[in-house]
Amino acid sequence: MAYEPKIVAFLCNWCSYAGADLAGIGRLQYPTNLRVVRIPCSGRINPLFIFSALRNGADGILTSG
Amino acid sequence: MQKLTKEIQDTAKKLLEENKVDLVVGFAKGSLPLRSTPYFARTAEQAEELVWNQFCENNLANYLKKREEKVAVVAKGCDIRAIVALIKENQINRDNLYIIGVTCQGMIDRNKADELVNGKEILETETNGEEIVLKGKDLEQKAKVEELLYDTCTRCAYGNPVIYDELIGEEQPAKEPNFEDIEKFEALSAEERAQYLAKEMEKCIRCYACRNACPMCYCDTCFVDESTPQWISKRANSAKDNLIFQGVRVFHQLGRCADCGACERACPMGINLSLLTRKGVKDVKETYGYEAGLNPDDKPVLSDFETDDPQPFLMKE
Amino acid sequence: MVHGLWSIRIEMGQTRSITTKNERTVVHMSTKRTGSVLVLGAGIAGIQASLDLAESGYYVHLVESSPAIGGVMPALDKTFPTNDCSMCILSPKLVDCGRHLNINVMTTSELIDLEGEPGNYKAKVKTRARYVDPAKCTGCGSCTEECPVKVDDDFNQGLSKRKAIYKQYAQAYPNAYAIDKNKCLKFKNAKACGKCLKACQAEAINHEMEDEINELEVGAVILMPGFDAYDASKLDYYGYGKVPNVITSLEFERILSASGPFGGHLIRPSDEKEPKKIAWIQCVGSRNCKNDHGYCSSVCCMYSIKEAVIAKEHSEHDLDTAIFYMDMRTYGKEFEKYYNRAQEEQGVRFVRNRVYELTEGEDGSVKIRYALEDGSIQYEEFDMVVLSVGLEPKGEAVELAKKLGIELNQYNFCEAKPLTGINTNKEGIYVAGAFSGPRDIPETVMQASAAAGEAQALLSEAKGTLTKAKEYPAETDVAGEIIRTGVFVCHCGINIAGVVDVPNVVDYAKELPGVVLSTNKIYACSQDSSGQIKEAIKEHNLNRVVVASCSPRTHEPMFQETLKEAGLNPHLFELTNIRDQCSWVHMDEPEKATEKAKDLVKMAVNKVALAKPVQPVKLDMNHDVLVIGGGVSGMTNALNLAEQGYQVNLVEKEQQLGGIARRLHYGLKGEDVQGYLNQLINQIEQNNNIKVYTGQEIADVNGFVGNFTTTLTDGQQIEHGVTVIATGSQEYQPQEYLYGENHRVKTLLELETEIADGQLDKVNNVVLIQCVGSRDSERPYCSRICCTKSIKTALKIKERRPEAKVYILYRDIRTYGFYEDLYTEARQKGVIFIRYSEDNKPVVENVEDGLRVTVTDHVLGEPVEIYTDEIGLASAIVPPVENNQKLSKFYKVPLNEDKFFLEAHLKLRPVDFSTEGVFMCGLSHGPKNLEENISQAKAAAGRAATVLAKDQITVEGKSAVVDKKKCSACGTCEQICPAKAIKVDEEEQAAVVNEALCKGCGACSSSCRCGAINVKGCTDEQIMAMLSAL
Repeated sequence: MAYEPKIVAFLCNWCSYAGADLAGIGRLQYPTNLRVVRIPCSGRINPLFIFSALRNGADGILTSG
Repeated sequence: MQKLTKEIQDTAKKLLEENKVDLVVGFAKGSLPLRSTPYFARTAEQAEELVWNQFCENNLANYLKKREEKVAVVAKGCDIRAIVALIKENQINRDNLYIIGVTCQGMIDRNKADELVNGKEILETETNGEEIVLKGKDLEQKAKVEELLYDTCTRCAYGNPVIYDELIGEEQPAKEPNFEDIEKFEALSAEERAQYLAKEMEKCIRCYACRNACPMCYCDTCFVDESTPQWISKRANSAKDNLIFQGVRVFHQLGRCADCGACERACPMGINLSLLTRKGVKDVKETYGYEAGLNPDDKPVLSDFETDDPQPFLMKE
Repeated sequence: MVHGLWSIRIEMGQTRSITTKNERTVVHMSTKRTGSVLVLGAGIAGIQASLDLAESGYYVHLVESSPAIGGVMPALDKTFPTNDCSMCILSPKLVDCGRHLNINVMTTSELIDLEGEPGNYKAKVKTRARYVDPAKCTGCGSCTEECPVKVDDDFNQGLSKRKAIYKQYAQAYPNAYAIDKNKCLKFKNAKACGKCLKACQAEAINHEMEDEINELEVGAVILMPGFDAYDASKLDYYGYGKVPNVITSLEFERILSASGPFGGHLIRPSDEKEPKKIAWIQCVGSRNCKNDHGYCSSVCCMYSIKEAVIAKEHSEHDLDTAIFYMDMRTYGKEFEKYYNRAQEEQGVRFVRNRVYELTEGEDGSVKIRYALEDGSIQYEEFDMVVLSVGLEPKGEAVELAKKLGIELNQYNFCEAKPLTGINTNKEGIYVAGAFSGPRDIPETVMQASAAAGEAQALLSEAKGTLTKAKEYPAETDVAGEIIRTGVFVCHCGINIAGVVDVPNVVDYAKELPGVVLSTNKIYACSQDSSGQIKEAIKEHNLNRVVVASCSPRTHEPMFQETLKEAGLNPHLFELTNIRDQCSWVHMDEPEKATEKAKDLVKMAVNKVALAKPVQPVKLDMNHDVLVIGGGVSGMTNALNLAEQGYQVNLVEKEQQLGGIARRLHYGLKGEDVQGYLNQLINQIEQNNNIKVYTGQEIADVNGFVGNFTTTLTDGQQIEHGVTVIATGSQEYQPQEYLYGENHRVKTLLELETEIADGQLDKVNNVVLIQCVGSRDSERPYCSRICCTKSIKTALKIKERRPEAKVYILYRDIRTYGFYEDLYTEARQKGVIFIRYSEDNKPVVENVEDGLRVTVTDHVLGEPVEIYTDEIGLASAIVPPVENNQKLSKFYKVPLNEDKFFLEAHLKLRPVDFSTEGVFMCGLSHGPKNLEENISQAKAAAGRAATVLAKDQITVEGKSAVVDKKKCSACGTCEQICPAKAIKVDEEEQAAVVNEALCKGCGACSSSCRCGAINVKGCTDEQIMAMLSAL
């Protein structure tokens, strides 16, 4: 089986999360490997969250805001 | 050195006698060769114990945080950068601090000296200007001081204190910061870097000496000691968690690290810690043109925002 | 007498219309006014005015002719000068407006009749049948997928197709579909179709629906119908509609938009090829007297630059962009810098020219024939040409205005009455946005708030009489209870269930820790589901709820409402998005989508288990106002707020009120400024709600919104809840052109006084030099008003001495909007315009009997010598830097690079600061003319009222919390916090959060090395719990 990375995305509620919604509204298809954590602002992203996600098995992290 | 020691003692005595300060933090002769030890002088007599030599490696900024009394400190360039950074962070009250700045040519790395004499016991040293003689039983080895300096010191561009109330010693020639070590590491492939770091981190025993030696690590509860939430394992057997510990430490040091090398000097396992901290120092300098602890009046770089700040971390369409 | 009381409004302290002729306005007024407002048009202006009114105690009927609110903004890609995504900045306002308890959104509706008087109108509103019940429609979109009829999509400017049953745009509010009656097959033949009816499991579609007429009682009316784009096919030399690849700027916006017809991929619609060379042609349908569009459309220069810059960003190869223009009118705040960057950094080409014709070239290219300034004819070919179409009033709006007896100008715009900013000729009816003249979004928003402010002042006695509030049962205390989570997984018809195996997810959730109930819902958001969730909460004693359905951005507030109605704290809830971010984006991978949905549910269950109730924070508030600056802006603002019933303290540093307007004599439209000013000062002095402090400055400030204490230089202390900064600006004292050395060289303001005193009645030659101290390296901004002011001055000189020769030396003439008429008039009257360039400025020398000006004329290409008696310098508007820096520090509000105050958002919050409770208006914000300052002053009043109208300061409470034991008082959080809501307390040696100001963004928490700060509602522990579900 091909390598399937797990990706965790920290998305700002006001922009990127809305963008991800819009991708849905537009039915843009993308791989299922992404798990989104909605946060109040990209300022909320503590570097520790990123390390913790990696510790919990994520292979890549997307932060966007 | 003798001259500097005398000047420091005189200054300290005067400050104590005139009650300008309650305490002078400096160095005294260590009980072993190649060592000086941090020393607290509260009286003029005690001030006689103060020394200055090429073994005054500890960062004395560590002893100045959240003090109520009036303190004078004998401080070299890197100590003062840390002091400046700590003043910005409300950890040191500048009004209560008298800085006896001492120009510095670098401190001697005991490990390098030991290596030079193939592990023979050094019992005594003698410094003659740019030369040092290491003496012991059946041992008398001459060496250039320059060759025995800590790597941190050879790369240091701040031999002249950036702020002080009184300056002792001759002005040092200006130097440019040197990041060759980091550039070399950056040139490696991602795998090579990961491999190297994994190897280094396997050595870590989580004694936290690095953290405790660091003047900028002063949190009451360090994130590694948190239990709700528990960010990482508290045991040392995971090189990955060890790297997270060091990685987060670097994050916390961004724009703050004075590059004094205290962490690395404190490490009993000889981990190349300055590789990580200095990568942060270099990135901050390259991205924002900022070096920590140079100006007590500017805003810490990562707390400030300018509209034309570079944003290389942003993805472009 | 109920409807017959005549009163003189001045005697009531209610004078609203200030006229230039000092006349007293007598208006028919009834004793009791209606506390609601009719807002016509739900573009950004209508939305802003509605929110301002609803937040300050008035019920709003927001009437919109299309099926959704939003207007033109949703169709725009990015917005200048910040390049923010238009939809991103608009959508929070859409949601706020749509959900507001005190805004009655009426789409597919129009005003058909209005009777009554200011304060009491009866409005007849017709609502056309939508054929879909917005109360039942969940916006899931199943219907549109089934609908067989394809129609040109107006929203995409016809560049793509939509169906006969459609939603105007993806994020539309109401989030409900509508049927295009003219296109739907079922309306032609009842048996022909009906597929949508089958697809809709919510039973929201009803082809039998009928038009409705409602009669509404309102106190005031605000007209903001927006604009239409000029129809470029009317000018056949541009070839629009004939030459392929000649498109309009609005079409180009849709091409650029990620949600547009090509998904943001920059291609030309005719053959879908990527263009390598694009040109923009300015002034299409603007500045053209031949087609009755003599005015400047004000916004096209900026939007074209923006489109060129964004196009370059979108293009994978090096895109050549050229803008063909006559004058570059980047006169707004931060616009000039945007222009400079486009030119210098992004490499957009600017060609000053006149375009003659566009014809078809080879391979679909477009050939432009144009003339340069020197008259030489040139040709250039482009892959695509964008016509920068102008703005014109909407036909329906013009008809309505005529019906209501509203005066329009020669172009059919509803130009506001002089020096009112937003008043029409009818009391109680206001106008804002592009219907009152072409204008950009910030000015539109500003006018909308101004109109709201004016309506608030008119109706202040009826404030709060018609607004509604909701009551909830007492909250259950869940502290110490064992976690009992209920999970509701939504099918969303087939939107989720068609891809995700919902029963599988339901079963999976049953096994998760803390879950005592897991069930499915066909539409979790429907009315009956809401009831079922409430029952389930009671029956199963749930203390945590998870819904797995669609986006929390649209539906979280609704579900939280359900929790509140069931007596649970709304924050014991988690909504996870298994539709927009799962089933819709993984349509071909049902198994993996199901796995992902399970993970998402697990993450939500983990997070909600650690949720704690969050209580709103309430603080007392002072309802008085401090207005700093007693110029026209400060006074207008103070007067409006005083009329709204608030106590206003007006502080002026000079000994008398009036500010820089004391030096003005002629308004840009010929108003008697001194007469106006005296009347305004008189009103201020007569108003019992206003206390004036002259000769005072601000010495110290403490506190925050609702609780400010400001100390004046004489030591007096003023307690106030809101601060308005209206400190104005100054005239630049030129260092150039012999100013100060030769008494014949004057600034425009000095010249104006001399004209008024008759000192120039015998002058033979006058030279006016533009951009003195503006648009240079030291002050890289345009002072906005000088071009118009100079032309007005030239005309005044001509009026008093027609034989005088007046020269205007300029770089670009920036007579935006209707001021273009003055430019036209000046040229007709023989004012001579000579353009110079920044690197070759005019030279002024002393000669016997006068002055000599040498300037290189761009038409002749040679230096011209002008001997003159007088020189007027269009001197820049400069901020009082020290003063601004001082106030900036006191009130924690930022300045921009030019040292003008910087608003919270350049586009949508033009008079707000990001610091709550502090507003600004007038020249302190940036260069503007008197009319615009008045409008902005009213806008600041309208905005301030939204704060003042509250009994208490209430915030949601999802704020940062500090663990004092861990805090080392390093102050990083204080430096980081964008809301200035956290401070290190010297005594405590720890950071303290001001919950009233905290926005809960968490920047403090993530920058806190010591882990001393957490964020309520999104704690570190909760995020870790989510990550542990991976």
